[in-house]
Amino acid sequence: MIRKKRKFMPALTLMLVMSIVLSACGGGKNEGEGTAEKPVELIWYTIGTPQKDVDKVMKEVSKYTAEKIGVTIKMNMIDWGDYSQKLQVMTASGEAVDIMFTSSWAFDYVQSARKGAFMQIDDLLKEHGQGIIDTLDPAFLEGSKVDGHNYGIPANKELPAQEVWRFNKQYVDKYKLDISKATTLESLEPMLKLIKENEPGVYPFAVDKNQMPNVPYDYIIEKLPMAVSLDTKDYKIVNVLDTPEMKQALNTMHKYYKAGYIPTEAATMDSMTDVQTTGKWFSDRATTQPFADNLWSASYGYPVVSTPASDALIYNWSVMGSMQAISANSKYPEKAMEFLNLLNTDPVLRNMIDSGIEGVHYKKTSDNVMENLPEAKNYDMPTFSLGNVMLTYLNSTDPANKWEEFKKFNDAGKEAPLLGFNFDPTKVTTEIAAVQNVKEEFWAPLMTGTVDPEVYLKRANDKLKAAGLDKIMAEAQRQLDEWRAANK
Amino acid sequence: MGALGRFFKDINKNKAMLIMVLPATLWFIFFSYLPMAGMVIAFKEYRYSRDGFLASIIQSKWVGLQNFKFLFSTNDAYIITRNTVLYNIFFIVLGLVIAVAMAIMLAEITNKKLAKVYQTGMFLPYFLSWVIVGYFAFSFLSLDKGVVNHMFSWFGIDPVNWYSDPTYWPIIIVVVFLWKSVGYNSVIYLAAIMGIDKSLYEAAMIDGANKWQQIRNITIPMLTPLITILTLLAIGKIFYADFGLFYQVPRDSGTLYSVTNVIDTYVYRGLKSTGEIGMSTAAGLYQSIIGFVLVITSNGIVRKFNKDNALF
Repeated sequence: MIRKKRKFMPALTLMLVMSIVLSACGGGKNEGEGTAEKPVELIWYTIGTPQKDVDKVMKEVSKYTAEKIGVTIKMNMIDWGDYSQKLQVMTASGEAVDIMFTSSWAFDYVQSARKGAFMQIDDLLKEHGQGIIDTLDPAFLEGSKVDGHNYGIPANKELPAQEVWRFNKQYVDKYKLDISKATTLESLEPMLKLIKENEPGVYPFAVDKNQMPNVPYDYIIEKLPMAVSLDTKDYKIVNVLDTPEMKQALNTMHKYYKAGYIPTEAATMDSMTDVQTTGKWFSDRATTQPFADNLWSASYGYPVVSTPASDALIYNWSVMGSMQAISANSKYPEKAMEFLNLLNTDPVLRNMIDSGIEGVHYKKTSDNVMENLPEAKNYDMPTFSLGNVMLTYLNSTDPANKWEEFKKFNDAGKEAPLLGFNFDPTKVTTEIAAVQNVKEEFWAPLMTGTVDPEVYLKRANDKLKAAGLDKIMAEAQRQLDEWRAANK
Repeated sequence: MGALGRFFKDINKNKAMLIMVLPATLWFIFFSYLPMAGMVIAFKEYRYSRDGFLASIIQSKWVGLQNFKFLFSTNDAYIITRNTVLYNIFFIVLGLVIAVAMAIMLAEITNKKLAKVYQTGMFLPYFLSWVIVGYFAFSFLSLDKGVVNHMFSWFGIDPVNWYSDPTYWPIIIVVVFLWKSVGYNSVIYLAAIMGIDKSLYEAAMIDGANKWQQIRNITIPMLTPLITILTLLAIGKIFYADFGLFYQVPRDSGTLYSVTNVIDTYVYRGLKSTGEIGMSTAAGLYQSIIGFVLVITSNGIVRKFNKDNALF
């Protein structure tokens, strides 16, 4: 048998070659499409738990968009945890996609743009996306440029990021606490102590493995310890773990951990969702937006109050918090841009995508106020991920001036020092892979206060150095200096 | 008659056989041989092209061995290789001994109903996903709610923070692995034992051999070919670690990395944020080549001793 198999080899090789050639062919473009009579189908991938009624709603959406701009929409939702990986594989293998969600925290926008996943849209935006340019705060388009070009449309939403201390109001009221006294991490201590002593079974300070102390630095790459100080003059990149602010914060966290304010298994807890559902927590830290307290209270089912923990600053990652990009291999890039333009300017379309079909999923109670109907549970979309949030109808519980407050919040935001600078890691990928591993080893135990920073900070720094952190920092410094020279 | 003529004659003669192997051959071509061309990605800085996957491969920049560097660049390279290989050696040896022992014991149980119950009980964990096994382990090892620490408190022993103390993890990992996999392997060996000719045992009993002598002189020698083949196959995978076991069961706890970081988890952690396909392909290629070399070598050694037991 073995002898015969050998003779088969030429035939096998031939088949192999043939199938490669065949798969390389195929595809092609049809002309004269994209009208109301003969609409083109745009394939749209976006993030969020897949909803039962997506196809039903998209059928209605398609009717509307076919008439307006000659496109129909096929939306595919991919769940939060899977989105990055699936989209990486899809773009790498050249899957047919027209529009896709991208951001700084899921399916990384800057890296994917550099790898060639997205179409460069500088010209498309001018030709077919004038509405977007008019409605968006210029800082959004400016801040989301990669190497001088735009590759995605940021959703019009809160622009700066501001950290707040959140409190479970139940306990604030019970112990008549004054939350305005909470400013720094250290200032929380008396309250945490009070809760620890009087409320067994409640986490005084709910920290999971993704949390890290808020220090006044702007990171080059999120969660890698390279950053510049927020009030930097010379733009010197430092190792955040070496800074006095971080050392102090980590010591405090470790003190809190030993005192039992922080969950014992914080370093391995993926999320606090369970704890939030049961309400067995007193305080934590989160990123806010105007009227966020209302949102949190509504989603947890009990009142939550908050007080600022930092200034409102515009970071790269806050500008790129939610974007829609056009795929590099889209067959209809103009149509895709026309659609994104309509999505970000047309309230009818925007609300249909966001809330579903009027009379089925929601009903309008006045001009720009709506109320969910029971069917809304089959079409519950993450509003911020889909486009301009300021076009969406208000809920009956929302204040009437909600979007004005958003604009005020956006105008008040100060620019972080690294806004507009995007590090290109191509030259140091080997070092980054090694440093990532060291970071994963030490980050969560340190940041949650689980281990003693006196011992582990040095160990972490030694290992980071051995893995090549200095080389990455030098490369980042070089790029940053070049960027500053070019943008003066 | 030329070579081509002979070729077609051969095909004609073995039509029936060839048609039988056709589905498997096609399967291998499409899912094992065709994708092998993708190995070239390991030597490229993979960038996307708008003309599809093949164009992306062709147009990406050739970077030689650059992508392999991250596997060897740090001290971690030693730790991950050591962990991967040592754990796998333990898994192979202990897995073999325990699975064969279990299989022999199951075969010797005269109450067949009871034997089935044991067998099913051992087999069941094999079907659980590592995520679930990870939570099982967590319910035992959790610091404040775990069964183990709870039992410790009855005897006045201080609770152990399992997920931040690497001391015990080599044992925990091995125990969890065996718990999950032994049942499956013992079923394979049990099937082989069932296939052993009963007259051999009858003849041995007439000659006055006791149970232990029967096992040593009949069962184990009859199992040797199967043991050799399964062990050879396992050696081929000695550079692959079970990702779920090393990631889910220790709950990705950083303080345990010194004893839980293996090649697969290292690659995952290093590349999950950058998504460099070239580097992950390089890691996979490296693992396959080492595995290939090891299989060839160990097969050669087996051949030296006993030609019939070798794979090829």
